[in-house]
Amino acid sequence: MGDKKERNSVTRRDVLKLAGTAAAFCTSFGFLHGSQVGGVAQDKHLGDIKGEATQHKWERAELKWYAGATLLHSSAIPTKVAKHLESDANAVVEVKLFRSGQLLRNLGAIQGKH
Amino acid sequence: MAGPHEVLGMARLLGISTTELLGLYSDHGGTTLRFGADGKCVFLTADGCRVHPRRPLVCRLYPLGRSVDKDGVEKFARFAKEEGCEGEFGADGTIETFLESQGVAPYIEWSRRYGELYGRMLGLLDRLDIQSKIEVSEAGGPGSGAGSGAGGTGAADETDRSPLSSWQDIDASLADYCAAKGMAVPEGIEAAIDLHLRAIREWLEDLEARVDTDRGGTEGATS
Repeated sequence: MGDKKERNSVTRRDVLKLAGTAAAFCTSFGFLHGSQVGGVAQDKHLGDIKGEATQHKWERAELKWYAGATLLHSSAIPTKVAKHLESDANAVVEVKLFRSGQLLRNLGAIQGKH
Repeated sequence: MAGPHEVLGMARLLGISTTELLGLYSDHGGTTLRFGADGKCVFLTADGCRVHPRRPLVCRLYPLGRSVDKDGVEKFARFAKEEGCEGEFGADGTIETFLESQGVAPYIEWSRRYGELYGRMLGLLDRLDIQSKIEVSEAGGPGSGAGSGAGGTGAADETDRSPLSSWQDIDASLADYCAAKGMAVPEGIEAAIDLHLRAIREWLEDLEARVDTDRGGTEGATS
C-alpha cells in the first residue's frame, strides 16, 4: 500500500495495558480459555455445581522467577501462606511490591481454587 | 463479576457515570461488585436489588451457571440454594424458558463479542516479549508506572479498587475515543457498547500491526 504509516514499537506501557485489560476481562467475564480455541466459560463456579473439587490439592507450592525462559531461582512459599491457601477454596493471598514501605504495585491475587 | 457493558447499564440506571460506579461500587480492580462485611452485594437492599433491571448476566443466570467449551458447546448446571436466598427453586420449566424470562440473550451476545476481543488479547500477549518489559518495570525509576495499572491515575491504591484497565470504564474510554475521532459520544447503552467494542478492536488492530512491525524488524536483523 502506498500510504504505509510509520508505526511506533510496542512499549512497556502498551504491554501493561494489554495485560491489565486481559486480566480484567478474564475476571469480570469469567473467561477461562485461550485465544486459539476461541471458547469462553461464563461462570467459573460451575465446578461447585457439579460437585467437582474447585480447590487444587498440592504437596508443595513454589515461587519461581525467570529471565526469559531461564529459571533463576525457586523457593517454597512460606508454610503459613500454603496453609492459608489450603484452608479454604475462597482463601486469597495478594502479592504486592514495596519499596521503603511504599506500595509500588499490586501484582494480583493467588487463590486456592481454580 | 461485572463486565464493562454491565457496569454501563447499572450506571445509567443509577444516573451516575461508569467512572463513579467503578469507584463507589466495584472491587478487585473493578472486576466485581463490592460486597459488604455481611457478605451481601452492595446493591442488595431490604427491598431487593437496586439495579435489578440492569443486573449483570451472572445474576440473571442464577441459580444456573453457564459454560461454553473450546468447541463452542454451551452447558448449564444448577447451583445449590444459597443460605438466605429467598428465590423460588423448582424443577418446573426448561432452561430455555428460564433464560428467556431473565432476558439473558443480549448479555450472552455481548459476552461473546467481548470474548472474541479477549481471545485476540491473549494471542497478542503470546506474541509479545512480556518478560523483558516487566523486568524494566520492576527495575523502578522515574515513570516506572508502579501502581498505575493500565492507563490508571498513577496513585497506588491499597484497596485494590482502581480498575485494572482504562477499558473497563466505558464513559471515560469513549469520551477519549470520541474526542480523538471528533465524534459525539453515543447516548444509548447499546450504541455505547457497540462503539466500545469497536474502539477496543481498533486498539488491538493497532497493537497487532505494531507487533508485526517489531517482529519483522527483529527477524530482518537476525536473518
